[in-house]
Amino acid sequence: MAPSPQTIGEFSVLPISIPPVPSFPRNVVHYLYVRRNAPKIPTANDSRSLFLANVPVDSTELHLRALFASLVGAGRFESASFEDERKEAEAVAAALDAAPAQAVRLLAAHGKKRKREDQEAAERAEEEAAARLPSTWSRPLRKSGSTAVVLLADEKSVQQVLKAIAKVHKSKKYPTWGGDGNIVAERVPQLGSVWLKAHNQLSYPDRDQLQAAVDAFSTMFARREREAAEIAKRLRNEPDEDGFVTVTRGGRSAPASTKEAEEAKKKMIEKAEKKKQEMTDFYRFQMRERKKAEQEELVKRFAEDRQKLDAMRQKRGKFVPEA
Amino acid sequence: MEPGSAKRRKIGHSRGESAVGNIDAAASSGLSRGRAFILEAEELLDEVKLDYATALEGVDSLLHKIKGSIEAIEAHDALQIAEAATKLEKKHKIQIPFPEPRPSDKSNYKVAFAKPTQFNVVGSYVSKTMIKAQKSHAVDMVVVIPGETLQEKDYLDLRYFYKRAYFLGVVAAALQKDLAEDGELSYEYLNGNSLSPILTLKPKVEGEKKEGRLDYRVRIIPCAPDNIFPKSKLHLGATLVRKAGGDDSKAAAKPTPFYNSTLVSEYCFFPYLKLLRQTEKKCAAFKKACILGRVWLQQRGLGSDMADGGFGHFEWAVLLALLLQSGDNTRGHAPLSTSLSATQLFKAMVQFLSVTNLSEKPCVLGTATLESETAGPVLFDAVRGLNVAFKMSNWSAAKLHQHAKWTRSLLNDSTADQFTPTFILKADLPWQNYDLIAHLNYDGKQDKTQPSDCRGRLWEYSDKVHRVLKRALQDEELGERARSIHIQLPKSSSWDLTKKPSTKQNHTIEIGVLFNAANMTRTVDRGPAAGPSNEEKEECARFQRFWGEKSELRRFEGDSIRETLIWTSTSPFDLCEEIMRYILKLHLRVGYLEDELVFHGDGFSDLISLKPTDTSVFNAARKAFSSFEKDIRNLDDMPLHVRQIAPICPELRHASVKVPFSTVSKTGPRPLECVISFEASGKWPESIVAIQRTKIAFLRMIGDLLERSKPGEVRSYVGLESSTTTNTELENLAYLDIIYESGPAFRLRIHSDLEEALLTRQSHDKTIDQHHRHQASVLLSNFRRLYYHLPLHTQSINTFATRFPAFSPTIRLLKHWFSSHKLSSHFTQDFIELVALQVFLSPYPWDAPSSPSVGLLRALLFLSRWDWRSEPLIVDTNGDMPSSERSAITTRLEAWRKIDPLMNHTVLFVATAQESSGVAYTTINGVAQPSKVVAARMTALAKTACRVIREEGVDLDARRLFVPSTKEYDVLLHLSSKALKAVGKVYPSEDLSNPSAAAAAKGQSKYKNLSSTAGEDALPLPSSPIDSFFSKLEQIYGTGSSAPLVFFRGGEDEKVVGAIWNPTLGRRVFKVNLGTSYKPVVGGGGKKRKGGDGDEKEEEEEQLVEVNREGILSEIARVGGEVVERVEVQRE
Repeated sequence: MAPSPQTIGEFSVLPISIPPVPSFPRNVVHYLYVRRNAPKIPTANDSRSLFLANVPVDSTELHLRALFASLVGAGRFESASFEDERKEAEAVAAALDAAPAQAVRLLAAHGKKRKREDQEAAERAEEEAAARLPSTWSRPLRKSGSTAVVLLADEKSVQQVLKAIAKVHKSKKYPTWGGDGNIVAERVPQLGSVWLKAHNQLSYPDRDQLQAAVDAFSTMFARREREAAEIAKRLRNEPDEDGFVTVTRGGRSAPASTKEAEEAKKKMIEKAEKKKQEMTDFYRFQMRERKKAEQEELVKRFAEDRQKLDAMRQKRGKFVPEA
Repeated sequence: MEPGSAKRRKIGHSRGESAVGNIDAAASSGLSRGRAFILEAEELLDEVKLDYATALEGVDSLLHKIKGSIEAIEAHDALQIAEAATKLEKKHKIQIPFPEPRPSDKSNYKVAFAKPTQFNVVGSYVSKTMIKAQKSHAVDMVVVIPGETLQEKDYLDLRYFYKRAYFLGVVAAALQKDLAEDGELSYEYLNGNSLSPILTLKPKVEGEKKEGRLDYRVRIIPCAPDNIFPKSKLHLGATLVRKAGGDDSKAAAKPTPFYNSTLVSEYCFFPYLKLLRQTEKKCAAFKKACILGRVWLQQRGLGSDMADGGFGHFEWAVLLALLLQSGDNTRGHAPLSTSLSATQLFKAMVQFLSVTNLSEKPCVLGTATLESETAGPVLFDAVRGLNVAFKMSNWSAAKLHQHAKWTRSLLNDSTADQFTPTFILKADLPWQNYDLIAHLNYDGKQDKTQPSDCRGRLWEYSDKVHRVLKRALQDEELGERARSIHIQLPKSSSWDLTKKPSTKQNHTIEIGVLFNAANMTRTVDRGPAAGPSNEEKEECARFQRFWGEKSELRRFEGDSIRETLIWTSTSPFDLCEEIMRYILKLHLRVGYLEDELVFHGDGFSDLISLKPTDTSVFNAARKAFSSFEKDIRNLDDMPLHVRQIAPICPELRHASVKVPFSTVSKTGPRPLECVISFEASGKWPESIVAIQRTKIAFLRMIGDLLERSKPGEVRSYVGLESSTTTNTELENLAYLDIIYESGPAFRLRIHSDLEEALLTRQSHDKTIDQHHRHQASVLLSNFRRLYYHLPLHTQSINTFATRFPAFSPTIRLLKHWFSSHKLSSHFTQDFIELVALQVFLSPYPWDAPSSPSVGLLRALLFLSRWDWRSEPLIVDTNGDMPSSERSAITTRLEAWRKIDPLMNHTVLFVATAQESSGVAYTTINGVAQPSKVVAARMTALAKTACRVIREEGVDLDARRLFVPSTKEYDVLLHLSSKALKAVGKVYPSEDLSNPSAAAAAKGQSKYKNLSSTAGEDALPLPSSPIDSFFSKLEQIYGTGSSAPLVFFRGGEDEKVVGAIWNPTLGRRVFKVNLGTSYKPVVGGGGKKRKGGDGDEKEEEEEQLVEVNREGILSEIARVGGEVVERVEVQRE
């Protein structure tokens, strides 16, 4: 086998040998792409973290720990965070945050961000975690081809890892997925039928647990709604830089519900339609014009039919009786 | 046409009158409505037109040669027939094709030969009405037997036909001598009529066959001169064959209508030629109308040949000409005006045939009275004295009538595509026409009856079979069980000059029965009431005579005592078979031997074990649902009033392959899905996320209330949806599973109207970014599908399942077909149901199917012909969709195709009356179901299936259509049924989360494991384990065009899953987040870099990567664990 390239762009290629499984008894190589972590918005830990692309779908932190242990020895690996976990958390937070929508919108319109003290942010995170519903899978899978960020003990470890990867190419001794002898497999939740069974079980979470999550959410929601109302109230009395006062809901009269607004709209349309109906064919010229329009329509349709026929003709065999 | 001379022809019966009245209406409406139909018909005429010069090259010189050759034959004086025959046969080594019974050696009438007085070319060659697609092309040349060789009394006792055969023999001998190089000579029967043998010449083709040249033949037809026989003696009721009946005077008295008509037809060639020529001249569109008629008849398997029904192009042309003729009557004008166009004439003919059943009431054109009742169909041309329909049988007349009726209803349906079913579709395939086909072996040696007419004993036997079956199955008083009974007789073939015509004694008669689905399931037939009056007694006696010992007296409610028949079978097919076997055994003494009577057609029901009791199981499920609905409505402390609970799953609309509750014991309960909606309320929070959470609390409360109201009877679980889209907080989060201890289980989801309003607002909100807007609109369409379309769809499918008894089994068979071909994961259930429904609502050119097998085959035919790239599937569920809406739907499809010409987002376009957007049934989560590739595969599979159906004909083995082919797949995943079975049942307290515990549990004894869950009820299944597994795989690998693998899987019983590598994912430049697992291409791309990072060269090419196929398969194997038994790579 020709040697595979050691690097692609700024990534080092890390081949991982994957032990055969009974249903697919082949020795397979998976390729992980590794580089120093350099996110667009730098963080404190960038210098001692690595960016991994194309992680296997069944990756867990334990898998990665075993992998790095086999490269640079134990004790260098601190933690890993996976892309889809991060994304999901962000999406959920955003969704929970977006409620109640009214307040967010008002703030966005005013170009103001809610002040967030560090402490407050932590509080919110805790609140959101409590409101989160339990997962239905005993072990998450990564999206194919997704990324992860691995935090190592120090900057030196990063260097060592990259060197070790280069060495792997020379020695052709690829690290084994799941550690030698697949020791990781016994410490992470099993996949396969047990995993599917667990999914069945987890799909029906404990009632109290579920209720707690819902309750946590409603408390949070109620509080935020209150906050939003306060903001709205404040805005009602505050002119902006140009001297305009934003019209907000909840003024003197009770707020119009969307439902009522929609009904009113429906009524208006109905009324307009009725009026229109009464006025058709009232004058003779209307009737004449209508008839003329109908005739034109007929001519137009005839032309259309012709066109359709031409299209059919182009598809061969449309006019030949089946044998 | 001058109004004075135009006179209305008298039509001999009242039905004819009304037919004529309707004809005008049908014809005049033609212009305004079916514009497209007219244009298309014109196009068809262009397409089928034959180029006579190239197609029938050299025919004229050949005809001249034949004429010369015949004219050169030496005349000879009268000789005794036997003597002359032997002489001729010995001299030229040919056989004279005498009709049966052959003339005896002692016959003392004499035959002579003289030069024929007249030659002429007749038929469609002269009128130029041949078409390209004809089964065979023939040029008819008639040779008139000179009058001096015939005598007036020759009309009796086959004498004319003996002389005719001798004449033909002489001609054959001469042509054999002269034209041996020009072609092959053989005998055949004219239209299968064994009285009239003819000579055919198939010209040899020299050298290369030219493009467009046809394999035609010349038919040399001897005929009688006009006015040689006394016409008054040849009427339909006359008995002209006395000898054939033997010496018995009784038998001799039977009339011989067929013989008489054949005799009349012998001298009618010229009169009809004249009639047709006249009409052609008078009516410009006549020829075109004849061509249209020819195509129409041919697509329905009707033809002039007796085996084809005896109604072909010639009969069509004559009938049309007669309807166009202004007669010499005193009343009115001709039924049809000569100024009508071809399509109008065609429509008028269809209209006429659809109201005129020739076998029920004789139809007389012109002034004549028929003296006697004849058994067969009659279409009497008074001027020429011929029953034009003499070659027809009762069943072929019925077939013609039925097809005309179907075509008429199609032509009256302005919304359907009228053209294709009328002319293009081949409508005579046995399995698309008949629900049951039986083969009856006829053994001529056993048949001791003497034929009374000259149609052959086989024909008379078949006629008897038909009469018996008609009385048994189509008795109006009992309630028609069959809509049509058809008998297909074997065709006669041509034979060598040196041989005698085939005298095969064993024939197989094919009987096709089309059910009346509503009546065929009846197991008790109520005959006439037994009463004291003579009339009633006679009725009963007749009933008993026909039904034999099967008939018994029974008392019914209301104290009526009736003759009754009790049948033991249950399914329509078995019932029909039972009745046919019984009645044929009773009246014809057949069916004692195993292979004497063979039935085909129930192979399909066995495939998925369709049972007649299935309907009641589905109804039981519906009943369970309504009691569940009642339980919910009766709950006291509900904060909102329940507006509706609607089922949305196939089990509750008679449409699941397996009947409901059939798998209860093996797996955990499988809840039937429903949605619940409440009265409008302002209490819902104005935030989608909050609404979803509120729903959870609501579901929990419903569950608690139900458990409290029915303690011990109900268990309920709140389940969490395993989401497929990324943002889990905006969609529905949970459902409530309710399990009755008595068996049924239901799954409830809550509909909140505010959710829809919020989603609508979000999807139109210009202030939020494109991505979120798109997401909102996807969620909105999911929402509408779940809470509006599916409940409505379920309702309408249920309605149609009641209206069409064969509908539900057809859906199930069709779903099974999709599943066997591993397509079902790509199609929504509702789409398949709508395809089946379309076959019932728009069944043209037939009527709605009355059995599942016919339904399935027609659905496959539909799928094979559906050009989904440019045509929407419009299912008119309300039956009154205006054409404006139809065209709006078509326009919408065109718009979609313009936006998305590669069909990445919208593929199949299906609209119904309730849902006209066209994508609701074929899009899930914003992704087209199926994708273009899969839709193309569906069409290809349906086409293959239709080809098999066409090629196999009656011998079709149903199983063949369901055999999947796995060789197209790159990878096969073999799933372990054992592991899946284990997954099917899970108990709440089983410890599965802790890996060490799970590992430990393996080592422990089985019993300990059991004891921990003993007494517990299994959890319901969130979805079938296979579905869970593959939807998870789809989630991690993506769907649509970005997924590396496309999976093909069938229903739950299909344990082999096929997969194909996505061909569009080739080598590409590496970047982060390519969406799937890639490996570097070895040696691909540019030079390799030296050293580690940072040592880059400017001019370096980019390194390419490709999909790591093995890596992905290994991942799937790891994720699947023991569920995936084997990953088989078929292609690297």
